[in-house]
Amino acid sequence: MSSETGFDPELYKRFPTTEPRPEGELEQLEEVWCGPRRPWEWITAINNNYIGVYYVGAAMLFFVLAGVLALLMRTQLALPMTGFLAQETYNQIFTMHGTVMMFLFAVPAVEALGVLLLPQMLGARDLPFPRLSAYAFWAYLVGGLCFFASLFFGLAPNGGWYMYPPLTSMAYSPGINADFWLLGIGFIEISAIAGAIEIIVGVLKTRAPGMTLDKLPIFAWAMLIFACMIIIAFPSIILSTLLLELERALGWPFFDAAKGGDPMLWQHLFWFFGHPEVYIIFLPAAGAMSTLIPAVAQTKLVGYRLVVLAMLATGFISFGVWAHHMFTTGMPQISINYFSAASMAVSVPAGVQVFAWIATLAAGKMRFNTPGLFAVGGLVIFVMGGLTGVMVAMVPFDWQAHDSYFIVAHLHYVLIGGMVFPLFAAIYYWTPMSSSRPLSERWGKWIFWLMFVGHNVTFMPMHLTGLMGMPRRVYTYLPERGWDLPNMISTIGSFMFGLAVLLWVVDMIRNFRPFGNKDAGNVFGGPGLEWLPSGRYSLRSVPVIKSLYPVWDQPDLARDVEAGRYFLPGAPRGERETIVTSPLNAEPQYLLRMPRPSSWYVWAAIFTAGFFLILTIQAYLASVISGVLALYCILKWCWRLDRPHPQATVDIGGGVRVPTYVSGPSSHGWWAMVITLIVAGMVALMAGFSYIFLWSRRPDLWQAPPELSSLLLVIALMAAAGLLAWLSVKALALDRPRSGMIAAVLMLLASLAILGGWGVDFTAWWGTGLRPDVNSQGATVFGLLAWQGMFAGICGLMGLFALARWSFGLLSPQRPSTYQLIALFIGFSAAQGVYAAVLTYLFPGG
Amino acid sequence: MAGALALALCACVDKADLPRPMVQADPAAGLAVIEDVGCAACHKIPGVAWPEGRSGSNLAGFGARPLIAGRLPNQPDVLIRWLIDAPSMDPGTAMPPMPLTQDQARDVAAYLYTIDED
Amino acid sequence: MLDPAGPFAGPIQTVAWVLFVMAAVVMVVVLVALGVALFGPRKWKRRVGGERLIWIAGLAFPVVVLTGLLIYGLTTTARVADAPKAGEMRVRVTGEMWWWRVAYLDDQGREIVQDANEVHIPAGQPVVFELESADVIHSFWVPRLGGKTDMIPGRRNFMRLQADAPGTYGGQCAEYCGGPHALMGLVVVAHAPDDYAAWLERQSRPAAAVPSAQGPLALIDQGRNVFAASGCAACHTIRGTEANGLAGPDLTHVGSRQTLGAGILPNNQGTMAGWISDSQSLKPGNRMPSYAVLAGQDVRAVAAYLESLK
Repeated sequence: MSSETGFDPELYKRFPTTEPRPEGELEQLEEVWCGPRRPWEWITAINNNYIGVYYVGAAMLFFVLAGVLALLMRTQLALPMTGFLAQETYNQIFTMHGTVMMFLFAVPAVEALGVLLLPQMLGARDLPFPRLSAYAFWAYLVGGLCFFASLFFGLAPNGGWYMYPPLTSMAYSPGINADFWLLGIGFIEISAIAGAIEIIVGVLKTRAPGMTLDKLPIFAWAMLIFACMIIIAFPSIILSTLLLELERALGWPFFDAAKGGDPMLWQHLFWFFGHPEVYIIFLPAAGAMSTLIPAVAQTKLVGYRLVVLAMLATGFISFGVWAHHMFTTGMPQISINYFSAASMAVSVPAGVQVFAWIATLAAGKMRFNTPGLFAVGGLVIFVMGGLTGVMVAMVPFDWQAHDSYFIVAHLHYVLIGGMVFPLFAAIYYWTPMSSSRPLSERWGKWIFWLMFVGHNVTFMPMHLTGLMGMPRRVYTYLPERGWDLPNMISTIGSFMFGLAVLLWVVDMIRNFRPFGNKDAGNVFGGPGLEWLPSGRYSLRSVPVIKSLYPVWDQPDLARDVEAGRYFLPGAPRGERETIVTSPLNAEPQYLLRMPRPSSWYVWAAIFTAGFFLILTIQAYLASVISGVLALYCILKWCWRLDRPHPQATVDIGGGVRVPTYVSGPSSHGWWAMVITLIVAGMVALMAGFSYIFLWSRRPDLWQAPPELSSLLLVIALMAAAGLLAWLSVKALALDRPRSGMIAAVLMLLASLAILGGWGVDFTAWWGTGLRPDVNSQGATVFGLLAWQGMFAGICGLMGLFALARWSFGLLSPQRPSTYQLIALFIGFSAAQGVYAAVLTYLFPGG
Repeated sequence: MAGALALALCACVDKADLPRPMVQADPAAGLAVIEDVGCAACHKIPGVAWPEGRSGSNLAGFGARPLIAGRLPNQPDVLIRWLIDAPSMDPGTAMPPMPLTQDQARDVAAYLYTIDED
Repeated sequence: MLDPAGPFAGPIQTVAWVLFVMAAVVMVVVLVALGVALFGPRKWKRRVGGERLIWIAGLAFPVVVLTGLLIYGLTTTARVADAPKAGEMRVRVTGEMWWWRVAYLDDQGREIVQDANEVHIPAGQPVVFELESADVIHSFWVPRLGGKTDMIPGRRNFMRLQADAPGTYGGQCAEYCGGPHALMGLVVVAHAPDDYAAWLERQSRPAAAVPSAQGPLALIDQGRNVFAASGCAACHTIRGTEANGLAGPDLTHVGSRQTLGAGILPNNQGTMAGWISDSQSLKPGNRMPSYAVLAGQDVRAVAAYLESLK
C-alpha cells in the first residue's frame, strides 16, 4: 500500500498496543465529553449523539405533521364534492404537505441520520464542525416550526410545492403566502448545505485510520454522494427562490412573459434541483438498506463495488433528467427524446442496487425481524414505483399520465418504498445504538404490515383514478365519473397507514430512551464500528480498520477498543478532539480540537430563522435587527476559530505523533471553504444559464452593454484583488516582524478592490439607462450584480475581520488558516466578478 | 283546495297528512332528474351531494312543509305545476320554468316528498 | 385514456398496454428472485446469491428491456406537436382562470368566431389546437382524445386531436392553476362534418334571441334590459348587442352550450339563474361575483334571455 501523506503504514502494526493505560484516562475522557448537566445545556449541546437524535426526532415530527395533512386531504377526497375542507384550505394543505415532506422531512431526515450515524460508523468522536451541525439543526427546527404554523393563520403558501410562476407571482398571489414559502425554504437551503459540507468533510477527513475508500461503509458512501449532490443541486433552488422573491418584491421580470421573462425558466431551475432531490432523498436511504440488509441476512453485501458505482452513476445521471417533468410543455422533440432516454437510464443503477440486495438475501439467511421486513417491503414497493417510473419516462404515456393521479401513485411508491420504508428499517435497526431499550419487535411487525398494506390500499387505486382522468391537486371532483370508489378505497388505506405511524409513535414513547450511558447493544448483529461499545465520547479508542466489516472480521476488536489499545485512547490535551485523516487512505494527519458547547451558534440559528421569517411579514426593521444579531453571533462564533495549541505535536497512541494545527489543503477548514465556494459558483453558473436562456427568448428587448473600457477596469480591479489576497498570504508566511500587519493591510486592500470593481460595473450598467424592473436583461444583469454585490460586502466584512484579528494579536504566521480562507474567498469573488462582467458585456454584445 | 289552503294558512297542518304518497311516481327516478337538470344549483337538496346552491330555499324537510315558496299549499298537484312553470303561479319568483315533462315533474315531486325533517 | 376515441389517444393506449406487460414481467422476475432469496432451497439460493445476479438481472436485463422500450417509444411518439400545416383545421384555446376561451381560426390563423368552454370539431379529421394562456399556466387535457399540453404565458403550444366518431368528450385543466382549478372543466363536441359546418355557420351569426314557451318575448326583452343595466356587459360580449366586455366568456350563443361554469353544471334556465344569483357558492373563487341583489323576476328574465341565445 503506497502512502498518500508520507505516513508510514508500518506504524499500524503497533496496534493494538500492549502496555497498560494510565490511571484516570477514561475518567478524563468522560469528563471532557460529558453530557448536559443543567437544563440550558440540553440546548447548547453539540455532541452528535445529542444533535443527531434531536435532528432525527425533529424530522420525524414533521413527517407526522405532514402525514396529518395528508389524512385531512384524503378525508376531503373520500367522496365527491364534499365540504370538509374549504378550497383555499385544501390548496394550502396540499402545498404544505408536499413542501413539508420534501424540505422539512425527507432531506433533513436523511441528513439527520448521517449526523447521528456517521461519526459512529467512521470511528470519529464527532463530525468536524459540530457547531455547524447545531446551527443547521436549530435554524431548521425554529424556522420549520414557524413555517408550519403559517397554516394556522391561513397564511400558508398555496401555489403547490413546486411554486410555478406566474401563479406564484405578485399578480396572482398577492398575499404573503408565497413569500412564506420562498423565505421559509431559504433557511432550509442554508441548513441543508451546512449539513452537506459537514458530511463531505466528515466522511473524507475524519475516518478511523486505515479505513481506505474501499473499506468505507456503504452508508458513508451514500452520504458522501448525497452531500455532493446537495452541493450541485441546491444552488439551483437557491437561485430560483432568490429570483422569484426579487420579482415579487421589486418587480424584476424574470418570469413575467410580458417583460421578456419566461415562466419556463423557473421550471428548468426548479427541476434541475427538484429531480436530483428525489435521488438525494433516495441514496442515503438506499445506503442504509445496503448497510442493514447484510446484518439482516448475516452475510456480506454482494457486489459492494457495483453498488458504490451504481450510486455514483445515479448521482451523475440524475442531473440529466430534470426536464422529464416538462414533457407536456411543448419542448422541442429532440430534447424530449434525450430526457426520455436519460430518465430510463437512471433506473438501471437502481436495478443494480435492488438485485444486490436480493443477492445478499440469497447469499445469507433472511431473519424476519422488523428492520428486515421494512427492508424487503420497501424493496417491493420501490420496484413497483420504479416500473411506473419507466412507464412515465415513455413520452406518449406521460402525455396522458402527467399531472394525473397516476403520478401521485408513482411518486409515493418511489418515495415511500425508496425512502420511508428504508428509514423505518433504519430506525428499528439503529435504535439499539442510541437507546437503552430497543423498539418492540412484536409491535414492529404489526406496524410493518399495517403500513405495507395501508400503503398499497392507498396508492394502488390511484394508478387507476389517474388513468380514468383525475388530475392532481384538485380539492374536489364531480360525481358520476367513476372516481368515487377508488378514492374511497385510497382514503381507507391512508388511515391504515396513519394508524401504523401512530402505533410507531406510541412505541417510541414506550421504549426510546436515548442519551443514557448505556445502550441496548448490537441487537441485530451488525458488522459496523457503530456497534462497538461506546460512550458519549463514541469509541474509547479509534481502531485501525482492516476490513469493510470490522466487527465481524477483526476478532477482539471490541475488547481492545474498550481497553484503549488503539488510537486516541483518551483526551491527551484535556480537550474534545478527533483525528483528522487523509481523504483516500485515511492516514492520520493531525489532531483536530473540537469546540465545547456554547450558545452563540444557537442564537445565530434563532436570529437567522428570525431574519427570514420576520422579513416575510414585512417588518423590515425588526428583520434587519434580527439579521444583524445573527451576523454578530456568527462573528462571535468565528472569533473562537483557528486556535492553535502550544504543543505543536501530540502522541495519539502507540507513540504516533501528529501535529495539532494544519493549514492549507490538508485542513478541514480549507475543504469546507472550497465546498462553500463550489456552492456559490454553481449559483453563479445557473445565473449565467438564466441570463442566456432569457436572452434567447426575447433578444429584441435587449440593449447594448456599456463601453468596453469599463469592462477592462472591472477586470483589472478584480485581478488586483486576487493578486493582493495572494500576496497577503505570502507576506504572512514570510514570518517577519511586520508580516502580520502587512498581510492584514493587503487583505483589506484586496477586499476594497473587489468592492471597487463591483462599483465600477454597477455604475457602468446604470449609466446605460438599463433598469432592473423594465425587462429581462435589466433583471438578470442587476440580478448578477446583486449577487456579486453580496460577495463584495462579505469580502469587505472579511477584510475588517482580518484587520481586527491582527490588531487583537490573534494572527501569526503559525496560524494562517483564517487568512488562507479569506484569501480563497476573495480570489473566488474576483473570479466570479470577472465571469459575470465578461458574460454580460460580451454576450450577446452590442 | 280552498280548504287545504285555509288549513295551510292556519299553519296547523296535521302531521298525519304527511308524507303525501304519490301514485305512479318513482322517487329514485326523481332524484336522477334532479341531478340531470341541476336543481341543486339553487337548492340544497338532501340526497344530492353537489352542488349546494344557496340562492333558492333549502329543501331539507320539504316533505313536512305546509307551503311551497312560502305562499302556496304544499300539495302534489300544486308542486308539479310549480316545478314546470313557477312564474305562472308567482310572477315575482326567481325560479324559472324548468324543462320537465309532466311525468318527470311527478317523479321529482315524489322525491321531494320523501325528504323528511331529518 | 382507458377508452380512447381517436388516433392520437389509441396508440397511447397501446403503449400503455405494452408498458403494463413489461412492468408485470419485471415485477414477476423481481418477486421470483426475492422469493428464492428468502424461501428457496439452498441450491437455488446459491445460484441467486452472487454478483452474477446483479450483472444479469440488475444490469443486462434492464438495459435490454429499456433499450427496446426506448426505441419503441421514440418511434411511436406521434408527431402531434408540430405547427399547423396548410389546410388543417385550427382552434385556439386560451386558458383563463378558471375557464377556456375558444376561438375558431381560418387558414391564415385569423379568428372567425369566439366561444367558451366548449370546443366543437368535425369528427374523423385531425384538428390543430393552438394553446395559449392569458394568466397562469394551465394544461389542456381531453383524456379520451389524447395527451395533455400545457398552456404557458408568452408561448404558443400546438397539439393535434381527432375524434373518430361524433360525440361529447369531457376534459379538465390538468395543471394546478390556483383556487377552483378542480372545477375547470370543458367539453369537446365532435360533429359529423356536415353538421359541423352548419354549427359553425350558426355560431358565426350575431346573437338572436329565440323565444320559447319557457322564455316568452316579453321576458327576454326584460332580461336584455336587466343585462344591460346590471353591468354584465363590462365582462361579457354578446355579438350584435352593445355588450362587448372581454374579461369573461363570450355569451353570444350561450344558450346552445351543454354546460355552465366551465363544464360543471347542466345548462338550462334554472341552473343559469342559480349561477347568476350565486356563482360563488357553485364554484367558489371564480371571477364572477354573485348577483344576489337582483330581484327574483330579474334573475329569471336574464336567465331566459341568455338561454334564448341559441
